[in-house]
Amino acid sequence: MNSDALVLANTLVSRARAGDLEALEGVYLAYRSAVYNLGRRICGTEEDAEEVLQDTFLEVCRSIGKYRGDGSLWGWIRQVAVSKALMLLRRERARSGRWAGGDGFHLESIGKTPPEPTGPIDLEVALNRLSAVTRAVLWLHDVEGYTHEEIGEMMGKTASFSKSQLSRAHRRLREWLD
Amino acid sequence: MLRVRHLDMNELLALRDGEGAAFARGHVETCEPCRRELERLHGVRAELRALPTFVPPRELWSKVAADVKRRRVRNRFALGTLGLAAAAVLAGFIVMRGPAASPPAEAHDVWVAESTSRDLGPFISRSRQLETMLRVYSPTPRVYDARTALAVSVLEDRIVLLDRALEESHAIGVDRRLLVGLWDERVETLETLVGLRLAEQPERVWR
Repeated sequence: MNSDALVLANTLVSRARAGDLEALEGVYLAYRSAVYNLGRRICGTEEDAEEVLQDTFLEVCRSIGKYRGDGSLWGWIRQVAVSKALMLLRRERARSGRWAGGDGFHLESIGKTPPEPTGPIDLEVALNRLSAVTRAVLWLHDVEGYTHEEIGEMMGKTASFSKSQLSRAHRRLREWLD
Repeated sequence: MLRVRHLDMNELLALRDGEGAAFARGHVETCEPCRRELERLHGVRAELRALPTFVPPRELWSKVAADVKRRRVRNRFALGTLGLAAAAVLAGFIVMRGPAASPPAEAHDVWVAESTSRDLGPFISRSRQLETMLRVYSPTPRVYDARTALAVSVLEDRIVLLDRALEESHAIGVDRRLLVGLWDERVETLETLVGLRLAEQPERVWR
C-alpha cells in the first residue's frame, strides 16, 4: 500500500472508529465482496452468505472501537466473518437435526446425502457436495490460509480434527473430479 | 518382493503445506505416482483460489446502517437513563441521610484518591493521559465537515454524561463493577475521540 493509500485507510478507520456512518459504509464497500464470498464458500448458499455479511458488518459497526490497529483491518474483519459463518453452520446443523454432539460440529451428516455422481463433475459442484464442515475446513485452510490449529480452535475441536477433515475433503474431490 | 508403500492423503497434504516428514520428502522424489498426486493437490488448491467470486447484493448496507442508528438511539437513551437513575439514587440517599456534615468531596478529589486503587487506577491514569493528548492535538478544536463535527459532539456529550454518572456513582458508593464499567467506557470514548483528533492533523485526503 502506498503512503497516500495508507493515510487514506488510516483516516477512514479512525473515522469509522469514531462512529462516522459514511466511513463505516466505506469499510463495508471495501470488504463486502470478500466477506460475502467467505460466507458463500463456507455456508454454501446465497441466503446464508447474506446473513453472514449482515451479521459481520453489524458486529464490525458495534465493535470497531475495539479494533486497536495492531493487525490488518481485513484480518480483524475476516475473523469476525469466519466466526459468524461457523456460528450459522452450528445453528443450521442444530436446526436440521444433523447435530448430535455437544460441540456443535458432528463428524457425520445424518441427513439425506445426494447420490454419487456418475461421471466427473467440476470443482464448483464438487465443493457444494462436500458436507458443510468438511467444506469449511477445506476453504479456511486451502484458500484463506488458516492453520489446522487455528481452525480446530475456531470450531472447538483439535488440529487433528481439522487435518482429518481436510484429508476427507481432498479424497472426496479426487473421487469426483477425476 | 517388498511392496512400495505410497504416501497417504495426510502425508501428501503435509508435504504440500511444507510440513512433510523427511521420509515423505525422500519418497516423493523417487515415486512417480506420489509425485503426480502431490502436483494434483497443488493444482486443486490453485483452482480453489481461482474460483470466481460472487457479487453481494447492493441493498444490504441500508439494513446494517438502520440497525446501527437504532442502536445508537438506544445507547444514548440508556446512558441518559443511567445518569438519571444514578442522580435519583443519590437524591434518595441524601434525603434519607439528611444534610451532609461536611460538603461532599469534588469528583476530581475522589478520582485523585481512587487513582491508586488496583481496579480503577489504570483507567484513571489512562483517562488523564488521553485528556493530555486531547489538549495537545486540539488546542483550538476544529473540524472539517459536518459529519466529523457530529461525531465529535456525540463523543463529547457521552463523556459529559459518563462524568455525571461517575461523579454520582462515586458519591453514593455504588458497586465497584459498575464503576469499573463506567471508567472503561470513558477511556474507550476518549480513545475514539483522540483517534478522531489525530486523524484531523494532516491534510484530509478522504472524502
